[in-house]
Amino acid sequence: MERQKIVMRTCCSFLIKRNKQTYSTKPNNLKAPNSLRYNGLIHRKTVGVEMAADGKGIVVVRKRRSGQGKPATSYVRTTINENAQATLSKLLSKISKELLKPNSRKTHTQTHPHTDTQTHTHTLSD
Amino acid sequence: MACARPLISVYSKKGEPSDKNVTLPAVFKTPIRPDIVNFLHANLCKNNRQLDAISELAGHQTSAESWGTGRAVAQIPRVRGGGTHRSGQDGFGNICLGGRMFAPTKIWRRWHRRVNTTQKRYAIRSALAASALPVLVMSRGHHIEEVPELPLVAEDKVEGYEKTKEAVLLLKKLKAWNDVKKVYASQPMRAGKGKMRNRCCTQSRRHCIICNGDSGTIKAFRNIPGITLLNISKLNVLKLAPGGHVGRSCIWTESAFRRLDELYGTWPPRKKNHLRVLRKNPLKNLRIVLKLNPYAKTISWNTILLQTKNHKIQMHRAAAALEDKSDEKEVPGKKPVVGKKGKKAEKKKKQKRLAGKKVAVTKKPTAEKKPTEKKPHHRRKEGCCINLNLFIS
Repeated sequence: MERQKIVMRTCCSFLIKRNKQTYSTKPNNLKAPNSLRYNGLIHRKTVGVEMAADGKGIVVVRKRRSGQGKPATSYVRTTINENAQATLSKLLSKISKELLKPNSRKTHTQTHPHTDTQTHTHTLSD
Repeated sequence: MACARPLISVYSKKGEPSDKNVTLPAVFKTPIRPDIVNFLHANLCKNNRQLDAISELAGHQTSAESWGTGRAVAQIPRVRGGGTHRSGQDGFGNICLGGRMFAPTKIWRRWHRRVNTTQKRYAIRSALAASALPVLVMSRGHHIEEVPELPLVAEDKVEGYEKTKEAVLLLKKLKAWNDVKKVYASQPMRAGKGKMRNRCCTQSRRHCIICNGDSGTIKAFRNIPGITLLNISKLNVLKLAPGGHVGRSCIWTESAFRRLDELYGTWPPRKKNHLRVLRKNPLKNLRIVLKLNPYAKTISWNTILLQTKNHKIQMHRAAAALEDKSDEKEVPGKKPVVGKKGKKAEKKKKQKRLAGKKVAVTKKPTAEKKPTEKKPHHRRKEGCCINLNLFIS
């Protein structure tokens, strides 16, 4: 993992360097900075949030701990299509199962833009 | 460096894992050194350059000479003669129109670079190792999210493909086609003046197919954009790490994959560093004796048994002698044959006999019985006890 970090730090297809800012468009990177902590690919366990294909609800993407060398079966996707509060609590429970750091939870719940959908009555803060 | 070498399954042309498995060749556990790969790429890239330089004569095909001072013009060499625009114009300098350039390029520029063979080999190994990590391959930009496993090994029948159709179908089944689609989607035309210089079209490099032999694979795969074919015996860093960036996605054929171990080797057997052990004296230290000579234990035990046996026999004889002597005492003058030791034993025996002759008598048979009973157990402690018992009696 150390090696991968070194390789990916400076050049990587997901790296964006414009306007004196550096971001990363990696799949499970929500806050988008290019750093080890927010690196969606490197870690053994990752949790990501995406918008569902039909625009309704969110999809929680979890990386499987085992079988890291098999990209096809690495990720488990679950769709959550509920109101804002329920989605949030479901999301939190899923994340806490993955035993992540509290900051990551914060990232996922607060900064993801896709949580603002029409079906929600409350919009989650950005 | 993780030394675990998992089993990689071989995938059939339908994209399903077949029964065959290959242990991950040791190459894939090489440390990934992007710096070495980059260095190598930079240098090896230079090796297929063609010579290019300007004409030696360029800018010198005039006989321009400076007019010197006093003519109210700059003292740069000026073209002689008259009748054309060119006459009186400046010549020869890099500053001048129609002059030669500064430092005209020469054909004897050092075009090629040599790189140490060990470095070249290391770079290949590193590049291979990187191609086995989904993270690095994805970060290089390949769309391999749906690929079943990395490294991706396909069955050997792939080497016999002759039609591009078959090749395309294989890539689709292995979910490798997504990556190829990216080539179609990317802008084909080159940015910049290269267009005018016969370098119009560019294409991204996608998969690398590595095979063992060639019975038609090249022809089947070569028309698919972005794909490169390599033979396992001629692996090329420039192809495995295009642009100096490690992690090109590679598709192996089974026989090529199996050959990796024999080509790139496995680790040598691990030599453990034995630290100097403090030498202990076997003459004093029982454990060391036993370590050096495990049979010493049985020898010593046998001697103990033998000793107890002999002692017992001696005791018997002594006792028997005493009894005889007590019988003989009625007949004075006769001395027992036993000798000094015997006398001492006698004395001892007398004292103890006086204490309890009957006890001694009764004890004898029990004492006899004890060692015979306990012999099969072979316990040293009890041997000692036996000794004590005999002494007491």
